[in-house]
Amino acid sequence: MKYIIIILLLAFSIDLSAQQKQFSKDDNGKFIYYMVVDSQSFSKDTLLQRARSFVNVAYKKSMAQESVTDSSVLAKGTMVIDKTILVAGHPSGEVSYNFVFEARNGKYRFWLTDLLFIPYQRDRYGNFVATTKVGVPLERTPGKLSAGAWKDIVNSAYNKIEKFGEDFKKYLATNRVEKAKKKAETISTKQW
Amino acid sequence: MKKLLTAIFAMASTTCALAQETTTSPLEISGSVDTYFKYDFAKKGNNITTSFASDHNSVSLGMIDIALKKKTGKASFVGELSFGPRGQSQSIPDAAAGGSSFHIQNLYVNYDFTDQFSMTAGYMGTFIGYEVISPVGNFNYSTSYLFTNGPFQNAGIKATYKFSDKVSLMAGVFNDWNAYSATRGVSAVGGQLMVAPVEGWTAYLNVLSGAGAGGYGTIEDLTTSYQITKEFKLGLNAANYDIDNDGGGYAGAALYPQYAVTDAITLGLRGEYFKYKNVGPVQGVKYTAVTFTANIKSGGLTFIPEVRLDHSGDKPFFKESGAAAPNAGQFSLAAVYAF
Repeated sequence: MKYIIIILLLAFSIDLSAQQKQFSKDDNGKFIYYMVVDSQSFSKDTLLQRARSFVNVAYKKSMAQESVTDSSVLAKGTMVIDKTILVAGHPSGEVSYNFVFEARNGKYRFWLTDLLFIPYQRDRYGNFVATTKVGVPLERTPGKLSAGAWKDIVNSAYNKIEKFGEDFKKYLATNRVEKAKKKAETISTKQW
Repeated sequence: MKKLLTAIFAMASTTCALAQETTTSPLEISGSVDTYFKYDFAKKGNNITTSFASDHNSVSLGMIDIALKKKTGKASFVGELSFGPRGQSQSIPDAAAGGSSFHIQNLYVNYDFTDQFSMTAGYMGTFIGYEVISPVGNFNYSTSYLFTNGPFQNAGIKATYKFSDKVSLMAGVFNDWNAYSATRGVSAVGGQLMVAPVEGWTAYLNVLSGAGAGGYGTIEDLTTSYQITKEFKLGLNAANYDIDNDGGGYAGAALYPQYAVTDAITLGLRGEYFKYKNVGPVQGVKYTAVTFTANIKSGGLTFIPEVRLDHSGDKPFFKESGAAAPNAGQFSLAAVYAF
């Protein structure tokens, strides 16, 4: 019984901490996910090259590069929001965003904003597809009837974008050439 | 036909061997539950004879529908079963079998050979028409004459090529309508051209020719919807079905304007004209129907109050006394939960 109470308290506290995560707002009152990252090991050019590779290679299916300067990358993208509990669930919609990356020597920053939600509905074949092309700004105030569902969508979007941010930071901290070389190494069992 | 199928499978298996698996998705579980109350103004149970919601002055069941989907690399499956009157005795295959314990809505496998080209085999929701069996896929709770008289599902094998996001083409061979296994062999061919000329507007031009309801025949069908503004959407379904040797068929059109009053409330209308074709000297019955519907959403739950008024000069309806009547009307309130 003691262990059950501890587990329940732990689960409750995790739930509370999950609820505390939320988007900040920018100067225009729009939701924004904004990160500044210290990256002393890499030059501005390396960071820029990796950011371009992230958009055009790693996330090429969901992102499209809009423009590039010698210190920035602008892109648009979408990510699918799902109602997944453990291993099962289904997509509930997609969030489109504008992505901005800016690099300087020793640090970089990136942000996602202009977040628009497009709901999915199950079609006649059992697949979840967009019901409309018109997105709803994620920061809008929902009516009373849809407030609960909207809160779930915003939380799911935050979690997805947070994971996107982690993926991006890892990608920029990784030397893809060295990683590819390591992957190509073969192990012989003939010798100890 | 046998040679054609052998060639398709041979081509499919060769390409399958060359392809690489890329991604795995979690198991998708989704579905719906629906229930309704209907009051027919002439106090007759099945006065308006379109599909589903047939009980008068009764809180009655629709169905529980459960769908599973899984994608591993380029291969995926969908399995969808329904239980309850809407998915059992009122669905065509099970009605024919005396109302068995469940109805298969979808049961198929799919393989994406490339981002553009895919093939699907199994039992699928039909590609013909605007409305579907699942209440989640329809705005109105009652169904149109076009839906009731068209195919519900097709078993077969189909290939889809996506030229771009704006154009795709599907072609396939199918069993006769609404049958888990063919009663007249693989006896129909069908195709669908999808075009999306402007953002928010999608149109499907469909053809299905072969064994169907009432004999061998051909359906031509246009199904389209256009989200004109954030609030206003317009849908249209028009179809013509000719059964060979003057065996009848039908023709009709339905218009579906819908207006979102708030995020949670949408009001809509369905106006339909429908006519059965003459069979020899027997004149086909004509119908006009107007349905006013509201969708009130809260999370996964949708309340659907609806008033429907049907007219036919051929007097196919009944008065409370049992006499033939040119008009029929009903009110219904449905609750549909999607998960």
